[in-house]
Amino acid sequence: MKKTIAIVEDERAIRDNYAAAFSREGYAVRGYPNRREAMAAFAARLPDLAVIDISLEDEPEGGFELCRDLRGLSAELPIIFLTARDSELDAVSGLRLGADDFLTKDLSLAHLIARVNALFRRVDALRRPPEEKQVIRRGALTLDSERMSVEWNGQVVLLSLTEFWIVYALTKHPGHVKNRQQLMDAANVVLDDNTITSHIKRIRRKFQVVDEKFDAVHTVYGMGYRWVE
Amino acid sequence: MGRVSDLIRIGPISGFRLRTKLLLLALTTLALPWAGCQYAREMETVLRESEQQSLLAVTTTIAGSLKGKQELLFRDESLPAVSSQNARDITPVVLSGAPLIDGRADEWDTDSRNLVRVTGPGGDSLRLLAATHERWLYLALLVRDDKLVFDASMMRPLDSETIGDRIWLAFDDKRGGQQQLFFSSTGLGPLVARRIETREYGREEAVEESRIEAVWQRSRDGSGYVLEMGIPLSLLGQHIGVLVDDRDRRGTARTSYGTLDASDLRAVGRLIAASPYLSDHLRQFAQPGVELTVASSTGAILTRLDAPALPGDYTRMRGFLPRMYRLFLDGDAIPRGVSQVERQRAAEALTARVAKGKPETALFAGRYENSVIVAAAAPIYSADGKQVFGVIQLAQTADRWLTLRDRALTRLLNLTLFVTLFAVVAAFWFAGRMTLRISRLGAASETALGREGNLSRVLPESEARDELGDLSRSFSSLLGRLDEYTGYLRTLAGKLAHEIRTPLTIIRSSLENLESETTSDNAKVYISRAREGSERLGAILTAMGAATRVEEAIAHSERQSFDLAALVRTAVGAYGSAFPERRFHLEVPDVPVEMYGAPDLIVQLLDKLIDNAVDFSADGATISVVLRAQGSTAALSVANPGPPLPPEAATRLFESLWQSRSESDKRPHFGLGLYIVRLIAEFHGGTAEAANLPDNSGAVFTVHLGR
Repeated sequence: MKKTIAIVEDERAIRDNYAAAFSREGYAVRGYPNRREAMAAFAARLPDLAVIDISLEDEPEGGFELCRDLRGLSAELPIIFLTARDSELDAVSGLRLGADDFLTKDLSLAHLIARVNALFRRVDALRRPPEEKQVIRRGALTLDSERMSVEWNGQVVLLSLTEFWIVYALTKHPGHVKNRQQLMDAANVVLDDNTITSHIKRIRRKFQVVDEKFDAVHTVYGMGYRWVE
Repeated sequence: MGRVSDLIRIGPISGFRLRTKLLLLALTTLALPWAGCQYAREMETVLRESEQQSLLAVTTTIAGSLKGKQELLFRDESLPAVSSQNARDITPVVLSGAPLIDGRADEWDTDSRNLVRVTGPGGDSLRLLAATHERWLYLALLVRDDKLVFDASMMRPLDSETIGDRIWLAFDDKRGGQQQLFFSSTGLGPLVARRIETREYGREEAVEESRIEAVWQRSRDGSGYVLEMGIPLSLLGQHIGVLVDDRDRRGTARTSYGTLDASDLRAVGRLIAASPYLSDHLRQFAQPGVELTVASSTGAILTRLDAPALPGDYTRMRGFLPRMYRLFLDGDAIPRGVSQVERQRAAEALTARVAKGKPETALFAGRYENSVIVAAAAPIYSADGKQVFGVIQLAQTADRWLTLRDRALTRLLNLTLFVTLFAVVAAFWFAGRMTLRISRLGAASETALGREGNLSRVLPESEARDELGDLSRSFSSLLGRLDEYTGYLRTLAGKLAHEIRTPLTIIRSSLENLESETTSDNAKVYISRAREGSERLGAILTAMGAATRVEEAIAHSERQSFDLAALVRTAVGAYGSAFPERRFHLEVPDVPVEMYGAPDLIVQLLDKLIDNAVDFSADGATISVVLRAQGSTAALSVANPGPPLPPEAATRLFESLWQSRSESDKRPHFGLGLYIVRLIAEFHGGTAEAANLPDNSGAVFTVHLGR
């Protein structure tokens, strides 16, 4: 059975373009221009994944509300914010509402599809028992690349997809400095300095929630970041 | 021509500074003393006229009280025939003190109007002066005689053959008889008058008349002799006269001349003397400072009441300022100081004029410079009002009101001088303050314009309630609007980037879809070109939003302690590999430079400075990075060889959207790099500045950061 992707996007051209791309990849796509129509459809039947824009027609923050309502309907449903808004505040708000990823529209379709695939993979992986060979252990860190889940000292650290990929890239070769470009490639995104910095900051904060003394991500000024055990 | 039209357009004094203008305005208060002088002169004229009028009124009143009372004016004996004048009449002056009978003419006024002059033969002459004091008549005979011969007829005075100079005195007595006395010059000094009495048998005898005092002296200049005598008025009747009997040589004819009838030695000239009661009558009108003179219609002074002293001190003020003021004040209206004689002539002239029947006032110059005497004279009429038989004249020194005027004026002028001084000082102070306020406002508005982002809207003087306050407030609102506008411009890039992103997404996603649908190679070439274009557009949008994102990052950044020296060292190390075509020279202190701030932002700041240095330098150039710790601040400077900064750049370089790049540059630039540097520097409580290297071989950008 084909996986269903819901695209909530008020800009019809973008919606149709995304829909075409997803269809090409073999997904069933349903598009909605606003929150009302989307919620009506979701109430009847949940999609397997939702791509949501923040501003929807007359509601500048409609996407956030939709995300909250959708999370209320299903805790596991992967949700991706795809928006023209790239402010730090929007990203923090979106991720806090339970979105799995926050992307800007600079992202290419190929990257978008990669993320969608990854998220579906994770959903599938979560349904299976964990496979030991996919798990990387670095001291207190346990990283499952299939489930895209991270544990620190046995406690789960909830990371967005982008954040997970950054951590994954850093921990693959601990002690090696990963520069901006390498991190962007790993995360399948195009980000500027400030966005990378805020991603790193967010990652540190999330680890610090479970361990106040967390200090494994080091900044190498002018070069990049590295994972220190 | 241009200058003239400018002058017409902007006014003649607009070329001066505000302070000078106000000073000039303040100097117009100097017109106050001038106006004061004019007023004072006006006042003085009015005062003087009223003084003259009141004096005239008093004079007329006294004249009225004397109307028809000839007996009050003249001695009873001289009452009749006052009207006609006889050259032989004797009109004695009334003296306030008795003259010393010493044969000296010194105290006599030989220029007096009541002098009787009789010319004798040859160069001889007689000048007869008369005066009264209380109940005495004094006569002074000044005889010019080429040869004084003493009379040797002591024993036989009546011998007509005797030689020597004699003076005959003849007068009516009260009983109507005729008295004839003679003084024979028996020697210098006192001498006794003798009367010829006819005894029984017709024998004539010279009897001494001891009631008459007399002294005979040679005149001082040797031109003759002087006989001075005092006669009790009680002896005298209506007529009196003297005769000089000059017998120089025995046998020659006597030369006799004088006011007596030479043939029978009868007195024909009248004695016109003031009544003894006149002074008493006049005394009741006496006022302090007023001199009272009564003259006969012929102008001969009958009596004079000297002015009782004025109470108080009316001497005129001395000193530099009063003298200066008087220079302004005393016009031509007041005659200058003259001699006593001149003054007397003027008084006599007035009397002569008034004797014609009309009261009059006059101003005489006083004895001292600038002292003035106000005089008023009125005729005294006979009972029938047809005949003038006397003139009364009142004279009053005007020093009193002149002094009063001077004092008032000096006070006024001192006051105006003080007020002017005060006004000038006040104007100067006010102008200075105003200029200071205006220049402060100007400076503040200039700097407020220069600084962007956090434009200070509160200008000085905004609390003031005057026009400057209004100006400051309108400046403030203007600057506020300007601030909003520049704020709009600053965020415009970000907003624009955001707005363009949606259509760009449409283009890009369409292209990507197209790419996967099309298999034609030709089409793929165009698609890849279109994608290139859209990616460049995307890069431009990212650059446009950079400042907004930095502002956001600053708003969310957290401060921490870190070693700035280590940060700079590692960062510059990284630039070496990032820009292999440049060399980097690094100077950092060996000791850690502890700083409390956002290291990410500092790195970004350094990135921008290095980007800038790389952009403006050629391949192979050496970029030097210097860090210096200076107390509580750290100075980080990046210098690169290259073109010097344009002159206007120094102040504007760190503004948003400003750049001085050549157009050929391929990468998108919005002049935000150095603006971001400034934002980050300011976040760290610092400043950013740019300058040319001393030899103009390049530019140096320095950031001062608070630690």
